[in-house]
Amino acid sequence: MLGAAGASVLAGCSSSPSTSSSTTGSPSGGSTPGVNTGTPKKGGSVTIGTLAEIDGFFPPSNHWDTNGFLYANTVYDPLMWVAADGTVQPYLAKTLTPNADSTVWTMTLRSGVKFSDGSELTSTVVKNNFTALAASALTGTALKGITSVDTPDPLTVVYNLSAPRPSFAAGLTTQVGYVVGQAMLDQTAAGKTPNPIGTGPFIYSSWQPNDHFTATRNPNYWQSGLPHLDQVTFKPIPDDTQRAATLKTGGVDLILTNDPVTIKEFTGSSQYQLVDSLTDVIGEPTMSFIMLNTAVAPTNDLRIRQALAKSLDVKQLLKIFGGGLTKAINGLFQPGSPYYVSDTGYPTYDLAGAKALVNQYKAEHGTPSLTLSTVTDPRLESVVQIIQQMWNQAGFDISVASIQQATLITDFITGKFQAATSYQFGAVDPDLNYVWFSTTTVSPVGGIGLNFPRNTDPQIEFSLQSGRTSSSQSTREVAYKKLNQRLATDLPYLWLEQYPFAMVGDGRVQNFAGLTLPGGTAGYGFDEGIIFPSQIWLNG
Amino acid sequence: MTKYFIRRFLQLVVVAFIISVLCFMLVHLLPGDPSVVILGPNDTAHNRAVLFQQLGLNKPLYQQYFVWLGAVFHGNLGQSYLNHESVTHIVATGFPIDLELIVISQVIAFAVAIPLALVTSRRPNRALDNVSTTSTFGLLALPPFVIAPIMVAIFAVGLHWFPATGYVPFSQNPAANLHDMILPSLAITAGSIAVYYRLLRSDLISTLQEDFITMARSKGLGNRTIMWRHAFRPSSFSLLAAAGVNIGALLAGTFIVEYLFAIDGLGYSLVQAVQQRDYLVVQGIALVVAVAYVVIQFIIDFLFTVVDPRVTRE
Repeated sequence: MLGAAGASVLAGCSSSPSTSSSTTGSPSGGSTPGVNTGTPKKGGSVTIGTLAEIDGFFPPSNHWDTNGFLYANTVYDPLMWVAADGTVQPYLAKTLTPNADSTVWTMTLRSGVKFSDGSELTSTVVKNNFTALAASALTGTALKGITSVDTPDPLTVVYNLSAPRPSFAAGLTTQVGYVVGQAMLDQTAAGKTPNPIGTGPFIYSSWQPNDHFTATRNPNYWQSGLPHLDQVTFKPIPDDTQRAATLKTGGVDLILTNDPVTIKEFTGSSQYQLVDSLTDVIGEPTMSFIMLNTAVAPTNDLRIRQALAKSLDVKQLLKIFGGGLTKAINGLFQPGSPYYVSDTGYPTYDLAGAKALVNQYKAEHGTPSLTLSTVTDPRLESVVQIIQQMWNQAGFDISVASIQQATLITDFITGKFQAATSYQFGAVDPDLNYVWFSTTTVSPVGGIGLNFPRNTDPQIEFSLQSGRTSSSQSTREVAYKKLNQRLATDLPYLWLEQYPFAMVGDGRVQNFAGLTLPGGTAGYGFDEGIIFPSQIWLNG
Repeated sequence: MTKYFIRRFLQLVVVAFIISVLCFMLVHLLPGDPSVVILGPNDTAHNRAVLFQQLGLNKPLYQQYFVWLGAVFHGNLGQSYLNHESVTHIVATGFPIDLELIVISQVIAFAVAIPLALVTSRRPNRALDNVSTTSTFGLLALPPFVIAPIMVAIFAVGLHWFPATGYVPFSQNPAANLHDMILPSLAITAGSIAVYYRLLRSDLISTLQEDFITMARSKGLGNRTIMWRHAFRPSSFSLLAAAGVNIGALLAGTFIVEYLFAIDGLGYSLVQAVQQRDYLVVQGIALVVAVAYVVIQFIIDFLFTVVDPRVTRE
């Protein structure tokens, strides 16, 4: 997943689906808030208040954040998805099997699955989707290493990889795992912007950007009995307070939020059900951080990055803006993860140390000045102002820039930033974050590169390759622990907090966080804010 | 009179022409390849080549201007590079929302400010006048982003009288549309009420000291007649001028209210486009808003002649 909106303490951009969720509040008609395994009722419509608008439905070219995946799970299906036990299971695919060394992955598709335009899901369509994704500057990097795709029969797709990749299946839970109809591929190639054509539970009805996206029930959906609702509508409501107020006034039935104040407000409510993403982490949760560009001055100087880290009082920041909801973090992985290291070597708050480093730099180059970019959000703008004060105290000359989400992500990709707030790295498997850290995805400033901070550390690449190609858990643990430590040394990211997502529903809305995978096993129904609208039903 | 309007119309045409040149130049004055400005940084070389062909980007600038102007006259303002939405569609959906917000808010503002000014100007510095003057001064100090959340907390969340966010087009459901627009309109009305009230009150106090008012009183005319028939019209000059400027400023200037109430109006679209560097959207909206502003000033000029026909002789 690339791109995001809104704000916890900090925000900017997010990664692939992760696997964490917890539920609080009072249930209505079920044993757990957001999950109801009772007999669903058919019909009705649900309106969901989201954080922001997306820029389109086409996986190869649009920047999908949490909102993008919500829309995608409405009109499309992912090839694979995450099960409740953390394993990756087939969804639109029927099976996915590796060869002995995980260099060839064979996928069989479900038969009889049709797109919303009546065309059939075939291996050729899946291959053509792959071709479009691989050719895209946005998604192509994630598919590097897949040397060819074969279609021996209409329902079999064979992915040939240049090197072993045990985590290949997890990659198909991300944006590159969503399949669109052939007509959509063709029309887009012809320069048109077609309406989405998918195999999903709902069919596109209307989209007025910044106002609403509505989809109606797919009567021919391949999953028997789904969806339960007749219609689902998404309404972007950018202001956190107004989104919560709209839920309270009945203007929407569900809201997505990443605002600690809103999460705390609805936690424990008897009227509403709240599901959040802060506990019970199985994969890697999304992290908030400030990203530093290691390819431009002055953040290309390690002393500057160290000084910025040492002068950032994260605990104070979270106390002011986090409402005690989250804790400061020191790296990519959290307690409970097999890759967690309690002391990564990440700098602790030390203003005197920061000042000394700044003075060293000043003697050589003059006062270090840089711009801290953030997304346009009143709350975030307040947060970065405090950060600006902290850094100025250490001797920096900091200016702040507020930029729209999509534009900021473009700046990340092209390396046109110095420091920027962001969130990312939620993933069921750490290998899914390969492209963000790899030296192979570094481009010069102005070029397209998914290693946004342009950090070129050969030890990181070695660790990433080791983790990617090995199926030995102990080898992988060593590799990713090393990655975590190198990130703390190189400091392309200044870590802040585990990023909170929550979905809040009124009492009528059932099973919005529940998911049963097509194979019958329990799936992750609330994955960093991403839900499956096909599972929702209304009580009364 | 006819000469006056012809002169004004010609001025309008000249200003509109200058606006169109400036809006056209927006894309060309930015550094770098105009095709990158129009299509964004991530589009393909093929699409850039097609755009060059379509817009004649390799032709002299004046020729490009006429190609662009021709497209504008055919209702083609280009499209957003982000979601490929037509700019004409963005304007067509956003402009009526802004217009409705402005009309409702201005009707409320006039409905409150004019009667209040008529009443208080008759007896200045009395209790009602003092209360009104102080209250409107307070309203002037309260920006929409403060008023809006307070109103939502009271009237939407507390009393459930109005929705907290959302918008239904008038063509779909007029009653629901008006219901949705009340709170956003009230949020931007406060400032207008304060300005209109204070201007009109001040002018009325001055007019009421004129000889023709003394004459009217000596003829035994009632207060209501004097105020409405004799004092209001000559006192409304400043009010009209202020309304013209205010309405112009509100065109696409209602961003905060549209953001808070999640209404996809022109102001919201414009600010988003600026932040996303979606220059064709900025260009299209800027053109429409600027031309609308000029047209509004033309209408205000016409209204001046109604209030005081001597204007045409100047």
